[in-house]
Amino acid sequence: MIKSIVYKEWIKTRWFLLILTILGLLAVGNIFLKVQHYITFNEAHNYWYLVLFQNQQYFKGLKFIPLVIGLVIALVQYIPEITNKRIKLTFHLPINENKALLMMLGYGVAVLLLSFALLLIVFIFLSQHFFGAEIVHSALISVTPWFLAGLAAYFLSALVVMEAIWKYRIAYFLASAAFILFFFEKGMAGAYAPLNWKLAVLTLLISLSMTFSAYRFRKGEM
Amino acid sequence: MNKISRYILVFITILAASVALPELYWLAFEKPINAPFTMYSSQEHDFFMIKREQGETVRVDRKGNEYTRDEFELKLPMFFSRQLALNGTLPDSLNGVALDLHEISRARSSFRFRARDMQTPTPELYPLFESESGRANLEMPTDFFRITHRMEFLDAATNTIDERKSQMFTTVLNNRDFNYPAKMIAGIPTTRKSCDEGYFVVDSKDMMYHVKMIKSEPYVRKIEVPDGLTFRHISCVDFSDKKYYSYLISEDDGLYILTQDVYEFIRWPFDALQPETDELRIYGNLFHYTVITRRPGYQKAMALDTEYNKVDEFTETWKEREETKQGKIASFIFPAEMRLSVPTTNFIDFYGERTKKFNWVFLNLFLVLVQIIIIRRTKLKMQKNILDLVIVGITGIYGFIAVNFFQNKFFD
Repeated sequence: MIKSIVYKEWIKTRWFLLILTILGLLAVGNIFLKVQHYITFNEAHNYWYLVLFQNQQYFKGLKFIPLVIGLVIALVQYIPEITNKRIKLTFHLPINENKALLMMLGYGVAVLLLSFALLLIVFIFLSQHFFGAEIVHSALISVTPWFLAGLAAYFLSALVVMEAIWKYRIAYFLASAAFILFFFEKGMAGAYAPLNWKLAVLTLLISLSMTFSAYRFRKGEM
Repeated sequence: MNKISRYILVFITILAASVALPELYWLAFEKPINAPFTMYSSQEHDFFMIKREQGETVRVDRKGNEYTRDEFELKLPMFFSRQLALNGTLPDSLNGVALDLHEISRARSSFRFRARDMQTPTPELYPLFESESGRANLEMPTDFFRITHRMEFLDAATNTIDERKSQMFTTVLNNRDFNYPAKMIAGIPTTRKSCDEGYFVVDSKDMMYHVKMIKSEPYVRKIEVPDGLTFRHISCVDFSDKKYYSYLISEDDGLYILTQDVYEFIRWPFDALQPETDELRIYGNLFHYTVITRRPGYQKAMALDTEYNKVDEFTETWKEREETKQGKIASFIFPAEMRLSVPTTNFIDFYGERTKKFNWVFLNLFLVLVQIIIIRRTKLKMQKNILDLVIVGITGIYGFIAVNFFQNKFFD
């Protein structure tokens, strides 16, 4: 049963996942092409100076990439489920309804984590090639909320999509949008240090949120 | 689990609303609050201020007498010396000292400290300039140093450690009994300064060192700090009169200077500073220092003579945002406000502030009533909604939005 659910999710998401991850990798590559280009023309120590003291955020090209990936994966995974209320078929399977949903969610989280890990590893590897550990460390503090935003956007999009009543769908969307802004506050590199773990906890908490609208869906609240 | 997930969503929504709603409110209705700009006149021996009142700039003295721009500038020859020289009205002498534009500008200094200068992510890597290169202009070095388990120089082009230079500096630091790692590194990391004085480094046991590079060689001097004196912030300065290296703020919020060449710590008689929240401004001239500390709705100005003795002081208060019409209305709507960024720190976090007055209680109670009506109308059981009512009662408009966005409808 688990195998078939995973296979169904894989069929829905594979191309989007692949293409978005490749685009993400290209964006990471582009960040460092720009860094290299600047260094070629203006010397490395001048670029380091800008990064350390002038708040030049070489990594800012990453900002919305995890968000877009999280959003798109949620949409391609859950919109087909509510089209013609196909999800009701899943609810008729001989397993616990929440368990089936959480398996779908677990699949989504797993592939997102895989995609994000790949982007992060390449990003860290290239950062370490160009910059000292202190610069890489503060860059990581700054990109962490963006990756968390990708996960949060995934959970909240699932919540919005699975809600059957448009009025509430809009309400959920508004609340989600206001919440997602927490991850994109402007600031210096490293400024998110005190908030990151709190955002991580909140993201973990909302991982369960989709079960709420799914519950409403299957109880016929529409 | 479905109920738990609902409360999680309610919680997230309350959090998001408590940031977004006040932000939108203030974006729409906030009016500028103009703090006065206060100066001490070495001619009149009194404080003078420039204020904004009803959109107009007014220039007044401490008693409230108004002055025209020209009259005002004549009262403050040390602040407006260039304008007065241009007008031909600069006095020949003041307090028995002949006035010379060059001398005036050499003695002039201006300094600003904001709480966020202290509460900020630190770069941890710094450029060590050549202090005596024999060149007219300073040059940006090609490497950056860190002081962790030793002093290391990292070459930017290759991103590798310059082992020879690192060992040379580490050896000298070791000879001066440096305790690794560095707790604080303060300097002026820019080539746009008159000369380089290197860095003031506080080690892990609160010993202070002056670290420079002179003709490619390390210069490390251990500074004698009076017993028990430790600092939470050091701001280096580059003033033309070269009287001191830096302003320092001690753990007990005292304001110190560290004098040039003799390394003496002098505490200024200024005890109004709260460095976590305040902005500090210091204007120096031939005769006096005007020291001003400011926080919302309050500022204290003090005049010191050139021997750093207190001459006069002046405290001013004005309406802060909460006391304006817009602030009063806000206090009826929002029980608290949450922000992710505040002016006093460069760190992003949840900064919550409870509304000072309890005006919001009315709206909270009203919303509880509305919620009871909603529960009745939707024919839900009251005892299953007690928690919702408590949430609305405490968090007011935020909770009301949250519990109605995510309806408490369960079928069990």
